[in-house]
Amino acid sequence: MSNHPEIKTIVSAEGVGKQVATSADSLTILEGISFDIQAGESVAVVGISGSGKSTLLGLLAGLDLPTTGRIHLAGECLNDLDEDGRARLRGAKVGFVFQSFQLLPSLTALENVMLPLELAGVGGAEEQARQLLERVGLQTRLTHYPKQLSGGEQQRVAIARAFAISPAVLFADEPTGNLDALTGSRINELLFELNAEQGTTLILVTHDEKLAERCQRRIRLDGGRVAADES
Amino acid sequence: MAAGWQQMSPDINRLRLAGRLLLRDWRAGELRILLLALIIAVTATTAISFFTDRLQRAMLSQSSELLGGDLLLQSPRQVDPSWLKEAENGGLEWVETLEFPSVVVSGEHLQLVGAKAVQDGYPLRGVLRIADRPFGEESPVDDIPDEGRVWVEARLLPLLEIDIGDTLELGSLTLSVERVLTFEPGGGGNLASLAPRVLINYADVSRADILRPGSRVTWQYAFAGPELAVERYKKWLGPQLAPSHRLQDVREGRPTVGAALDRAEQYLSLASLVAVLLAGVAIAMGARRYSERHFDVTAVLRCLGAGQRDILALFLPQLLWLGLVGGVIGVVLGYLVQFGLFYLLRELLPTTLPAPGLMPMLMGFLTGITVLAGFALPPVLRLREVPALRVLRRELAPMPVRGWLVYGVAIAAMAFLMWRYTGSASLTLSVLGGAAAALLLLGGLALVLLRVTRALHSGVGVAWRYGLNNLWRRPMLSISQILGFGLTLMAMALIGLVRGDLLSTWQTQLPEDAPNHFVVNVLPDEVEAFRSFMQARGLDSAELYPLVRGRLANINGERLSERLSPDDERAGAVHRELNLTWSDSLPDDNNIIAGSWWQPGEEGEALVSVEAGLAERLGVELGDELTFTFGSGEISAKVVSLRTVQWDSFRPNFFMIFSPGVLDPFPATYMTSFYLPMQEKGELAQMIREFPAVTVIDLDRIMEQVRRILTQVTLAVEYVLVFVLLAGFAVLYAALQASLDERLYEGALLRTLGASRRQLRAGHLAEYALLGALAGLLAAGGAELIAFILYKQVFQLPYSIKWLLWALLPLLGALLIGAAGYWGTRRVVQRSPLVVLNNL
Repeated sequence: MSNHPEIKTIVSAEGVGKQVATSADSLTILEGISFDIQAGESVAVVGISGSGKSTLLGLLAGLDLPTTGRIHLAGECLNDLDEDGRARLRGAKVGFVFQSFQLLPSLTALENVMLPLELAGVGGAEEQARQLLERVGLQTRLTHYPKQLSGGEQQRVAIARAFAISPAVLFADEPTGNLDALTGSRINELLFELNAEQGTTLILVTHDEKLAERCQRRIRLDGGRVAADES
Repeated sequence: MAAGWQQMSPDINRLRLAGRLLLRDWRAGELRILLLALIIAVTATTAISFFTDRLQRAMLSQSSELLGGDLLLQSPRQVDPSWLKEAENGGLEWVETLEFPSVVVSGEHLQLVGAKAVQDGYPLRGVLRIADRPFGEESPVDDIPDEGRVWVEARLLPLLEIDIGDTLELGSLTLSVERVLTFEPGGGGNLASLAPRVLINYADVSRADILRPGSRVTWQYAFAGPELAVERYKKWLGPQLAPSHRLQDVREGRPTVGAALDRAEQYLSLASLVAVLLAGVAIAMGARRYSERHFDVTAVLRCLGAGQRDILALFLPQLLWLGLVGGVIGVVLGYLVQFGLFYLLRELLPTTLPAPGLMPMLMGFLTGITVLAGFALPPVLRLREVPALRVLRRELAPMPVRGWLVYGVAIAAMAFLMWRYTGSASLTLSVLGGAAAALLLLGGLALVLLRVTRALHSGVGVAWRYGLNNLWRRPMLSISQILGFGLTLMAMALIGLVRGDLLSTWQTQLPEDAPNHFVVNVLPDEVEAFRSFMQARGLDSAELYPLVRGRLANINGERLSERLSPDDERAGAVHRELNLTWSDSLPDDNNIIAGSWWQPGEEGEALVSVEAGLAERLGVELGDELTFTFGSGEISAKVVSLRTVQWDSFRPNFFMIFSPGVLDPFPATYMTSFYLPMQEKGELAQMIREFPAVTVIDLDRIMEQVRRILTQVTLAVEYVLVFVLLAGFAVLYAALQASLDERLYEGALLRTLGASRRQLRAGHLAEYALLGALAGLLAAGGAELIAFILYKQVFQLPYSIKWLLWALLPLLGALLIGAAGYWGTRRVVQRSPLVVLNNL
């Protein structure tokens, strides 16, 4: 199903920089970042701790605004949108998978997956959520709460939730960082499978080189700048 | 393209989602504290509203029993029939009675009596009480004397040397003495009716042929009906009354009861306000925790595309649901609690209580919603501002809500409630003003104190340092907790203070052996004999005071009528004849507040001591010259002292006391008051036989009434205090809960790093004990300030600094909060660090 028509460039950054004020002066986290990401591409953002990977992910996904430069996401310039506008865009076009899963503890697995569909006012949310959970192999865990699930299971629910609205772009922040190697690699399989099935653009932040290798393209950050952009 | 955010029916979806979140939050225990605080607030206010509402109505109905109606109009002639028509049209019942002084005769004996002629329907409120023999067991009756019969006060019998069953003559009628009258609504407590009372049938008045033009007759019209109708009629009647008319309602009817009622009302509403305020603080803390615990969820929702309005649409209905559920539960509980309350107090309350009304339920519910809106809304609104980026950077919290919003909304809510509760702008303003000033002052002071205690840092062990660090590290949280606890302690102190003082004022006014009889009209040549009569029977009487009736005419040569306009309310007392006296010593319960009492050498000089309140109303100062006129002459005297007088001490009290000798030219009689135990009432007959001219006034009945009201008020006050305490504990609980998450986490970390349980516990103890002590210190200051304002502005009582508070409150705070904190944080050390860390 192709919900997103022919936008060639789905994400672009032009001279993006981010400074934060500290007690003494301002700290530059990102500086002069520019690149385009095409629809359907899978991109890994890699770098050591503190290189600015997560900050960049937050900016690209419209969770935060850059201090300098412009970012386009799914045809809209994030700089021109207010927080609610960006939320609307995220709700319609963006899926997230986090290192710490970020499931709502008070909702069951099924309800967590239904959530973005309900927020978007999509009909038949429950049926769709059920199918997605079946797809990630959790058909027997529908009514379990996050606390009752293992880490790997929680991340599967998170992945099912991320794909629920058939996002144009999926952002993943260290998706296996909290999981053991075996579980982690299974989660990765699932992530790439679903990504291929839905033709989603995948932007992945990781310091796991092996995981990065599986992506079509790697943007390497160092000290807040793009050190390499390799395919 | 994905379905748009606004498509389909998002409202229904969001509502469903809100309902589901609420249900899940409830199951997860997220809402319990908030709901608990809300229920306490609503239960307390509903119960207090019910209680005060019904008690107040019961007290009023007791007053109306004394008055014989809800409204009593006294007139020197029959009133225009249209007035009575208007009353009927307004849904009021009315009954007309006649009051007149007359002389009754039996054989050789003549006696001046106060007669009341009544007809069917009297009394509209209350009951007549009679006894079969003088000073015998009394019982209520629901009929009135038949024609040809008379019911008389016991003291009349020895005066006429007759007994029940004998006859007496009234005008041209011979009446048979049927019963002893012990209480008549609409006349019993009137000190002016010094003559023995007799009750006859209305129809006998014309037959007796005793009323002639010029006779001193008072037509009394008692009205009774629904409260609103009475109010409406009172408003209608007011402007038409002539100066010779006198209209009394249940509040003005009996000054002593009226004042007690007023104080009781003010006190109960004050106490209930404090309970509401405390519950509000608990709710604010609960809401803050609720809000903070939803930062993550909100960030995820934002991340998944929810806009600010959607966040509100998700969380506000939760608040609304909470308000509804908590409100309904609280109202039901409050309803039950008030039944329990009345059950416990059943011995003391009137047998027929007014039924619970709807108003208190509405009041409780409204209070719940208002408190929730005022105290929970600002923290929940904060959720709107949670940045989506928090999903990546967990330390990001929304900007704290602007201070004016939090306090503005809370203050507005409190002001609304106070005004609704008390109906008194001055009480609202003084409490609110005091609270606001105290909050600002105390907040600043708390910060200063917190800074000062940092000096302790170097001198303490690791456990204490950990505990104290907890306080300093989060100054805002610490300050808000100090304020929260401080407010609780302050409220309790204030309640205790005001209650203790008010009640002790009442109690000293009414000691167990307070005088219960007044004797007037003791002739000068009988004074010595009367004194020995009293001593022989071991009756402890107050001083015998001479009594001269005179009128204040001039102040410093200026005519009083020029100084004050005739309807100037300030000088009500001086438009009538005053009871004047002289004395060489200051009465025991009087206090000189200006000038000095005369010394023995000054005798003969014309000096006068004036009651301070009257002096203020008349603008009289020390050194002024007052001129009094008497039937046969006038006298001028210099004001040498101003006195305070305990008007409700049931002792002889005087506006004006002269130095000895000044009033000698004028005829005087003597008066006193004394205490006579119930079982010795027979002595009265003997007294009247030996001193036929004296008039004895039995105050027991009025005093019993007052005492009953006071006892009820005392108990009511204590029950109200229970709610204040409950609300206080809710604050404590909410505050402990508010910081528990962080503590659990830190505790787990510290223990992982090797801290022992004992060290952690000592740290917690140190932290909370210090917190409690600081809160106690602030509470002492706050209570002092507010009490001062209340005493001066509302209760008009003298105030002195309560030093004990400053020692007691910090100690109490340290003990109470220290123990509660120690207990409340036990989970921090009991849970395995692994479990805690895994749950994050």
